[in-house]
Amino acid sequence: MAPGDSALERGNALITYTETRQHALDKLRMVMIDGHLATHQHSVDAGRSVRVHEGGYWGFASSPTADAPELERRARVHAKAMTAFGARSALPLPGGAYRGEHRFEGRPVLSARECTDRLSALQAHCRSRFPGLRSTRLMLQQEQHFKHVTTSQGADASMSIQRAVFGMVLLAEDERGLPIEVYKHFSCRGGLADLDFSLEKLAPYIDELHHHLQAKRHAVPARGGLHTVVLAPDLAGMLAHEAMGHPCEADLVLGGAVTADLVGRRVASDLVTMVDFAHHALGQEAMVPVYADDEGTPARDAVLIERGMLKDFMSSRETAQALGTEPTGSARAYGPHDEPLVRMRNTAILPGTDQLENMIAGVEDGYLLLSTSNGQADSTTEFMFGISLGYEIRNGKRARAIRDTTLSGNAIQALQTVDAVSDDMHWDCAGYCGKKQPMVVSMGGPALRARAHLGGE
Amino acid sequence: MRPAELAQRALQLMRAQGFDAAQVDAVQRQQTELNVALNQPSLLRSTEQIRLVLVGLVDGRRASTEFSGLEDEPLREAVAALHDEACNSPQDEAYAVSSGQQGVIAQGPLEIEEAEVSVQLAEAVTDLLAFRAEHTPTMMMQEGAASFTRLQQHTLTTGGSEIAAQLAWYELSAVGNAREGGRSSSFNYAGGSTHALAGQPAHTWFGIDAMMQTLTRQTDPQKLQEKFVGEVLLTPQAVGSLLEWLLAQVGDAQLIAGSSVMRDRVGQAVASPLLNLRSRFDGPGVLGVSADAFLARPVELLQQGRLTGLLPTLYGSRKTGLPHGPAAASGWVLAAGTPTLDEMIGAVRRGALVGRLSMGVPAANGDFSGVIKNSFAIQDGAIGPALAETMVTGNMAQMLRDVIAVSREQLDTGDHCLPWLRVGGLRFS
Repeated sequence: MAPGDSALERGNALITYTETRQHALDKLRMVMIDGHLATHQHSVDAGRSVRVHEGGYWGFASSPTADAPELERRARVHAKAMTAFGARSALPLPGGAYRGEHRFEGRPVLSARECTDRLSALQAHCRSRFPGLRSTRLMLQQEQHFKHVTTSQGADASMSIQRAVFGMVLLAEDERGLPIEVYKHFSCRGGLADLDFSLEKLAPYIDELHHHLQAKRHAVPARGGLHTVVLAPDLAGMLAHEAMGHPCEADLVLGGAVTADLVGRRVASDLVTMVDFAHHALGQEAMVPVYADDEGTPARDAVLIERGMLKDFMSSRETAQALGTEPTGSARAYGPHDEPLVRMRNTAILPGTDQLENMIAGVEDGYLLLSTSNGQADSTTEFMFGISLGYEIRNGKRARAIRDTTLSGNAIQALQTVDAVSDDMHWDCAGYCGKKQPMVVSMGGPALRARAHLGGE
Repeated sequence: MRPAELAQRALQLMRAQGFDAAQVDAVQRQQTELNVALNQPSLLRSTEQIRLVLVGLVDGRRASTEFSGLEDEPLREAVAALHDEACNSPQDEAYAVSSGQQGVIAQGPLEIEEAEVSVQLAEAVTDLLAFRAEHTPTMMMQEGAASFTRLQQHTLTTGGSEIAAQLAWYELSAVGNAREGGRSSSFNYAGGSTHALAGQPAHTWFGIDAMMQTLTRQTDPQKLQEKFVGEVLLTPQAVGSLLEWLLAQVGDAQLIAGSSVMRDRVGQAVASPLLNLRSRFDGPGVLGVSADAFLARPVELLQQGRLTGLLPTLYGSRKTGLPHGPAAASGWVLAAGTPTLDEMIGAVRRGALVGRLSMGVPAANGDFSGVIKNSFAIQDGAIGPALAETMVTGNMAQMLRDVIAVSREQLDTGDHCLPWLRVGGLRFS
């Protein structure tokens, strides 16, 4: 290939699609360690991008200053240059065109002083109530995306996604004199003003977290191997996201994920239904509402697993075309200089009819897993996520705390062992999903009981 | 407006606003990137980013802001808003900005023409795809990229620091998995940065060819039949997880919180005497300047396993009383050892060659459990089958001490240059 003028001369391809995105990403982050504000950062990354699909190839250009016509000219030059790699099918991309505006109207913005005052009050409370703590770390984060997407197919969509997160880490020493910590976070749609991180609200949670910390001082290693585990609702969303969410992204399916051959087949127990919600979930607007994706496609729910059977995948225009389906509106870009990729939105396992306490009571020998650090998926559907808080279950009762460990397994095998699903539901939008670009997503679920592999002795 | 002028203008406005001290980074980044998706060239992009990072101190209070753009009025508004935010932040006598740092950094192919870059990127992608088609046809390159980046940064502080940097570098990467007869391997990736892309076939950079070939032998992995305590032979990618943990232990967050298990170990043996870790803050794509505007001087962090110092920022240093250790964001070399990789494999009685550690964040004390991905069993010195759903459990600090051998071979990815490590005492399950 020789991109440039010679390629341009050769290029006489058909433009099938053009998309323009104006995108501003506004983030605020504060970290207070033992009363000292170690981090206070605000950032705004704003810019415009144009992406064109021409001759079966993509061209993309972005800038904080250049106007749309100039960016379109650059993107077209890039797409034309790509045609030197050889002719490709250039059929029009499928999918509709969304027109509309959606903005979250939250409470008036909190000032920096109001934020730091609340953090200071929480720090003071921790110090006075629990003088044995070695350290307390508090974190605030607010992230807002404002996007305006127009496409050659007629889409004209203005959207915002806003989330706020409060996190706290309590640090102490275990009985060996080594550092141990416990972590809890709260998240919501909107800004920090929409998140209640007042002392009044959090004091009971701090007491509970400190109780876990004391239990963890005498924690024992988990026994490595396959066990019956009860996953608290906080973890089921992570299981949904990592275990079967990623393998149901159409680009991974086209890339050879084992889910490619499993549509219509059983991949979980009858008790498991899993959905990637677009903008509303169970009667309420979702934490990360996507009415139209960054290709201007009207977003629809993707029912991934219905009563145990694999049903659908999440897709962009291009991946839907390759699969012969209609796009789900799942093409999302993280920053102004990123191209849209197939990403999850609000992924959840739906609630069942059991109660968490009964689910624990039904376990003779197993583990209750309460808190996770991070997770990772695989094309094989083998998943893992870190467990930062858990307990043994002995004869139906919660027993000793366990040290940090990792839960893993083959998602299809693990989900087929689910024999109880609680009737409650926990949603969370605190973390990032990583796949070339980061992404704000939400995940949700009830408590689950299943068999999976724990790392340990 | 060029970064130097933008930085001067921003600092001038911050002085006028009444800040007692300030730091300004003006950053311009231009990138051309050619992407591969699903074994096909897919997208060519050009992106430009202009970023101003402002840190302001007033009355012992601090705030920082970062935004894109060049216009004067938004800059004035940002400076005023930053002043307001700083005034409303708590006081901390540890806040300070760098002073007296002077430097001019120029690295990489700064003079190369864009047309030549385009040709090189296209040739690199063509080579990667041709190698895949010819030698690893069962491997699906889910994503791949060849890119060229130019970065200009101008840093000024009210303490008289002025650092001008110009960097240019290429990057190559490949991500994918292999599929055969309905079975799939785990995904894996390889990549890195270099100052000169031409001169060797793209697939031979950064272990990309080895990664692709290895994937094709991992489509039929086997589970372990029993638990045991054995050895791991960590590939450079897995060694990166160990390095990342060590660097976190000697950095601000862990030192200030008091959770670092290395804080009181300076001058002591914290690792096997086989380990020597030194910085390479001038590697391709590595900017040898700390985030708080200090030139990152060369440092040898481990000398025959002995920890020589810690790496707190200026704030972390003033907060903890520990000596300041300015460091770049990346750029480390773990020195090579004597045995060859084959000799190291031959010495393992029972264990695994670990391609990648997939795990949660290690506990504060270093305890971890991780799924070993892209890995092979080793039995009596011979490589066995690929492994599925296998976990190892151990402690990061203990692993550093339990290094038995360091390979003669190293993998240089530009930001890091790491060997293979043989480590004993891991629990397999």
